[in-house]
Amino acid sequence: MRILQKGFNYSQDGPGNRLVYHLQGCNFRCRWCSNPESMPIDSDAAKNVPDDEVVDEINRSRMMFFDGGGVTFTGGEPTLQADSLLYILKEAKKLGVSTAVETNGSSPRLPELSEYVDYLIVDIKQPDDGIHKKYVGHSNKTTVENLIRLSKDRDQLHVRIPMINHVNTDPEPFAELFSKMDMTNTVVEILAYHEYGKCKWTEDYTITDGFVTDGQIRAFRERLEKDSIKFVST
Amino acid sequence: MIFDIYSPETVTEKAKTLFKHERAKKRLDGWFIAKEKELEIYDSLSEYDEEVKKALILKEIVKDIPLELDDNQIFAGTQDDSFARSYALINPSFKVEEFAGYCDPAAVFGDIVPNDEFTEERIQRAKAEFSKTEYAQKLSAVYSKSESYTKEVIYFFEQVTGHLIADFRFALRHGLKALIDEMKDKEGNGFKAFVIALEAACDLAARYEKLAREKAETLPEPQKSQFTLMADTLKKVPYNGAENLYEAIQSFLLMWQMMCLEQAPNPFAFSVGNADRIFEPYRNGLSRDETAALLKHFLVFFNVADRSWAISQNIIVSGRDVDGNDLTNPTTYALLDAYYDMNLSQPILSVKFHKNTPEKLYRELGRFFFSPGVLTPSMFNDDALFETLGSHGIDKEDLPDISIAGCQEPLIMGKDNANTTNSWFNLPKILEITLTGGYSLITGEKLADVPKASLENIREEFYKNVKFFAHEMAKSANGASEAISTQRVPFLSCFMGGQNNGIDARDIHKQGTKYNGSGCLIHGTSVVADSFSAIDKLLSERPQDADKLIPALKANFEGYEELHEFLLGADKFGNNIEKVDNEAGEIASKVADIVANEKNYLGNPFRPDFSTPSTHLLYGYWVGATPDGRSSRDMLNYGVDPLYGSAENGLGFRVLSNMKMPFEKFNGGYASHLGVDPKYFKGETYEEKGLEFRDKIVNPLFFNPLKQGVSPFYLYVNVTTAEILRKVLAEPERYAPSGVYIMRIHGTFVNFLDLSPAIQKDIIKRLDPDSTNIA
Repeated sequence: MRILQKGFNYSQDGPGNRLVYHLQGCNFRCRWCSNPESMPIDSDAAKNVPDDEVVDEINRSRMMFFDGGGVTFTGGEPTLQADSLLYILKEAKKLGVSTAVETNGSSPRLPELSEYVDYLIVDIKQPDDGIHKKYVGHSNKTTVENLIRLSKDRDQLHVRIPMINHVNTDPEPFAELFSKMDMTNTVVEILAYHEYGKCKWTEDYTITDGFVTDGQIRAFRERLEKDSIKFVST
Repeated sequence: MIFDIYSPETVTEKAKTLFKHERAKKRLDGWFIAKEKELEIYDSLSEYDEEVKKALILKEIVKDIPLELDDNQIFAGTQDDSFARSYALINPSFKVEEFAGYCDPAAVFGDIVPNDEFTEERIQRAKAEFSKTEYAQKLSAVYSKSESYTKEVIYFFEQVTGHLIADFRFALRHGLKALIDEMKDKEGNGFKAFVIALEAACDLAARYEKLAREKAETLPEPQKSQFTLMADTLKKVPYNGAENLYEAIQSFLLMWQMMCLEQAPNPFAFSVGNADRIFEPYRNGLSRDETAALLKHFLVFFNVADRSWAISQNIIVSGRDVDGNDLTNPTTYALLDAYYDMNLSQPILSVKFHKNTPEKLYRELGRFFFSPGVLTPSMFNDDALFETLGSHGIDKEDLPDISIAGCQEPLIMGKDNANTTNSWFNLPKILEITLTGGYSLITGEKLADVPKASLENIREEFYKNVKFFAHEMAKSANGASEAISTQRVPFLSCFMGGQNNGIDARDIHKQGTKYNGSGCLIHGTSVVADSFSAIDKLLSERPQDADKLIPALKANFEGYEELHEFLLGADKFGNNIEKVDNEAGEIASKVADIVANEKNYLGNPFRPDFSTPSTHLLYGYWVGATPDGRSSRDMLNYGVDPLYGSAENGLGFRVLSNMKMPFEKFNGGYASHLGVDPKYFKGETYEEKGLEFRDKIVNPLFFNPLKQGVSPFYLYVNVTTAEILRKVLAEPERYAPSGVYIMRIHGTFVNFLDLSPAIQKDIIKRLDPDSTNIA
């Protein structure tokens, strides 16, 4: 498994205290990405760790999985390493460790992985594929399909929307998407645009007016709450 | 009662003004007057036994020592006559390179600035007289004998003053009268001396009573009533038992004053014990505000002059009983209020947590951790302390009285003479001379006759040398204890078991205190573990370069930059890497066994204490470059923590590594520090953050259900960032308008602004944010 970074956090990427692996490589090119260093498929900063060593590390870290915690894989895009991920998730489940994955949802193998994921977080930047391609450089087709399918298959789904001015502040496309999903066991989280990662960009950073106001967020939520969408914040 | 005269708010105001007056004091001459008196009359008492002689001297000192009462005092008493302006780390002129330890007992005479009254000649005369005493002579003989081992700190040792927790509870309840009555007809010089020493305390009370009455006569109301109450109280206590909180605090303070005066100058780290349990029985229905107001004066008492020179006086609160029931009481919370409102640099606050600690206590502690510049309590895991001390011979019924003496050493109040800072052990220096065959990498001087070890055999040879030097260190430390045993402590002994057996607490032939041992502070476990890891890597990956290691260390890696990078790349303790973490645990375990195998002056084991109260800096200065890539003269790791900069994967990994330590063997204590960024706590109120602190820091560390064996039992934190501290230094008037910004530095509080620049730098460095990242 190619790992860029690892560390613990509390209740941000899944419940409780979690060992979070940031995996190297991403198939999206989100213009606001706060971890652009994780985009290339390989990097000098990343470390190739044998899958069994990752399993061993998870096992040795169990003491810190308190308050319902466990292991989380995020990115980059973790599903780009689907074989390793699947193996490690299975082994973690055998150890009785809670598993979580945060993904952009673009992998056709996500339903296969989902079986071994206790807590799944899927990001959706924009349901309109044209806008999505413009800002992300990739189609959202598989993501949307996966969201619809997984919301029905799973008894838990956490949808994250990074909210960026001029990109996705209109709630209507989201309302339409959610109407196709089973939102009974799904929660939605809005992450307001920030520029903590701006300094890490080596190419031009092209978002110039990305900050959203509290009013924009409130209006977005209120619209979707009319459809009984449940919001969370972590 | 005082609240018939003043409201709690007025009592608080007085405490704050009193503290201001105390901070304005720039001279401390009382200890010199006391010492001069002792030297003056010592020879005239030749007919008496040493113990009695000391008691008579104390009585004479009490007769003469100048006393005063500030208009804002509601309790009589001071510690000012027991301390000099000495303690290095809060001295702005302190430099790491000039630190020579506290081995020269005459050095304190250099801490008094001559003036018209205390002329240079007068000071020098006293110093010369003092140097002729049996104590000074014996001590200097021990130091000169071990010089080649101590000059670059392979080990160090000192004569221990203070550092104990007397149990005043019986005397508070029944008065000194009860003790005097019990002892006065008993045979032996011990009992005779103890009675004289207790009478001296009554003499002191009588002098203060007179002074208070005189003040009452000259002052208008309400001060007249204030000092009349003080005088009436001093007529009663400490001779008689106290019946309310005001009387109990007054009685306690005078006994404390006597205890310190007896060991002047500089009996650092005398500690109170479980103050909430000591005073709760006297509260008699006082409200939380009233109790806190009285305790604010209690706290001010522990501050001496402009920089609070009496350091490491510990007060502990909360904790459990033998059945695991919580012992937090209303005085606990009042004391916390007093601490928070006063925010003084002394006395230091510790808190004992256990599995049944009430949520309320965590909620109320939130304000301490998350208010910038406010003191933060040291945290102890009482459950783990019960296990550790219980397995080292402490009787079950004594365990609830576990308290902290000084920084973090756990002792039993009134029953444990642990001689805590008696010896100091420098493992990386031993590694250095093991690698070089006895030569210093700092000076090139031959320091010891030890063979040069091969890298393949480094562990075996290292442990051999640890054993050898542990034995040498124990001999030296026992020599220092023998020297200081000439300085008898009859007053203190009455509260350390002597009241029952007539034996002085410092006696080296008979054990007067129920439990006894000697401390050994062990330095540099992770530097040695990381060094072994780097040597292994070198031997396995680049055996052809093995012979370059010693020249590289000698050159402090200059000209060996590539090898330096290679060594720095070896696995380091603190990142949850099994092999090196296990190695650190094994080093701690083996060294603890070696140290515990050494016997003190009474035949009791030395107690391994893995704490390094700024000495990681001072001793690091005498250690050359180490195989882990650490540079020459750089600091060692703090306590059992990773070396700063070595743990890069955040708090979770660091805690997992830390769990490999054999806490059950640390009966002398240990130290660990986390610099935590406040941004990791999202709660909106201090109370919510207090609970979050419990959930994210305390519970996983202290009460982790998956931890096998004894859990960690000590932690101190500074919830701040390097950036914040740099701002405080750059613009103190903006970020610390009161001139006080309290930080924790090893076990004690300090005003960050009072510290020497070297120590300020150390604190900033050791916040080590990568090692405590939790987001």
